[in-house]
Amino acid sequence: MSLLSSKTSHFLELLMEMTARELNARYKNTIFGFVWALVNPCLQMVVISFVFRFIVKEPLPNYNLYLLSGLLVWNFFSSTQSKAVSSIVNERFLVKKANFPKEVIPLSIVLSGLLHLMASFFVFILLLLFLGLLSSSFLPQIVLGCLILLATSTGLALLTSALNVVYRDVSFFVQALLLIWFYVTPVVYALNSIPEKVVWLWKLNPLTFVLQSFQSIISSFYTFDQNLIIGNGALALLILFSGIVVFRNKSKTFDDWL
Amino acid sequence: MTGYKTQNNMKIDFDPPSSVTLSKVCKKYYLHHAKPTLVENILHQKNEGFWALRDITMAIKKGDKVGIVGPNGSGKTTLLKIIAGISSPTSGSIKTRGRLVSLIDVGAGFHPDLTGVKNIFLNGLLIGMDRKEITRKLKKIVAFSGVGEFIDLPLFTYSEGMKLRLGMAIAIHADPDVLVLDEGFGVGDQKFKEKIKRVYQELFKGKTVIVVSHDMYTIIDYCDKVFVMDKGRILYQGSVKSAIKKYKGNYNSSVKWYINQKRQNS
Repeated sequence: MSLLSSKTSHFLELLMEMTARELNARYKNTIFGFVWALVNPCLQMVVISFVFRFIVKEPLPNYNLYLLSGLLVWNFFSSTQSKAVSSIVNERFLVKKANFPKEVIPLSIVLSGLLHLMASFFVFILLLLFLGLLSSSFLPQIVLGCLILLATSTGLALLTSALNVVYRDVSFFVQALLLIWFYVTPVVYALNSIPEKVVWLWKLNPLTFVLQSFQSIISSFYTFDQNLIIGNGALALLILFSGIVVFRNKSKTFDDWL
Repeated sequence: MTGYKTQNNMKIDFDPPSSVTLSKVCKKYYLHHAKPTLVENILHQKNEGFWALRDITMAIKKGDKVGIVGPNGSGKTTLLKIIAGISSPTSGSIKTRGRLVSLIDVGAGFHPDLTGVKNIFLNGLLIGMDRKEITRKLKKIVAFSGVGEFIDLPLFTYSEGMKLRLGMAIAIHADPDVLVLDEGFGVGDQKFKEKIKRVYQELFKGKTVIVVSHDMYTIIDYCDKVFVMDKGRILYQGSVKSAIKKYKGNYNSSVKWYINQKRQNS
């Protein structure tokens, strides 16, 4: 009847249920619920934009909106990663007690974060429509950007959560990494303001194109560098692949370490 | 030709397919004196370890009711975890046939903020049922657990007993081919215990059950075959009576009486 094998469909059903659990648990007993997902990036936007204008008068056209679009994406990535890395350890009671595909634990965190991103981006697009700033040519890039973002987040979440079971240092490493990663990702600035000499570092960052694609919604001044897209895509796939392999390998012995 | 056929049929009758097979299973745990860190691990690779299981070979046939007994630290729970697929052996192989549900923990994945119904779905999916199946059995599960109107309330409002009953109800309705029970599954009050015993006798007639327990009465109630373990090895396997004798040295008059009672009842 269904195209999927029963194993795959069971995996997806379990993933959905775990995601629902994650979302449910997050907003239990909060009055504003999902609104918090919008308030935080808006606050960040106000602060960063306020501070930045001391240095440069109008750093980029529509700088506030530019910031907001980038912050929505970055917040998805950073909050997902910082939660995912210790997810297996936090769910030790589940891991030690039942036999199920452990992948659903980090994946449910990525998925619930993605649902947030989609919802908040929907609100953002409404805002752009209202302001008449929505660029129409964004769709193909943003789809591609989403895929790269998803591959990177999923791969990294699987990789770090599995390694963190054995080496608890990994969670500290990820926190430090995210701190640095924020500054080598064009969130508060644009890639063309980076000196030619060091731009290679940005090209090694799989999130560079992702950010550009999301920012292109408001300001279609980007001309996309094809090499960047290919490089970022390849890197994202590599991260995804190694995440899957390492998780598969390590998940057999989770029980011994928890 | 016909003769062969009868012989084959006979063979199938007397020799049901094995449902859990372990061959030369060993499990080594590494000892870590503190939480392992990356640097420590690279600097000095301490490979201190101990063997929790050594060379376990066993074949459990479909329909067998197997008990595993042994002193603390003899490897019972490790063995159970390996059978349940939660842990994997260091060497050797294990094969299980059909759906296996383990009650090493009743109510794995229960979330205090979710309602009873949502927790049934979550736990049910975790132990291997799919959504359709859970939806179909939802009413039965709720009725069996006896939590009544609480089913629509979040789980933190439940008493411990109610949570355990709900967990048991889900596991029983998962309709497993192999059921793995850890000690302490006899939860709930006397009434609920009787209910589980009754259901056990009805539903699990042809199914494989593996039980770990210290309680000889539980072993007598649930098993027809017992493995005695010590220091990671199987010391003895045989009937309930002979195994208890072996394990306890001798059995006291009340255990003797209990075994006789059971024999008379069946």
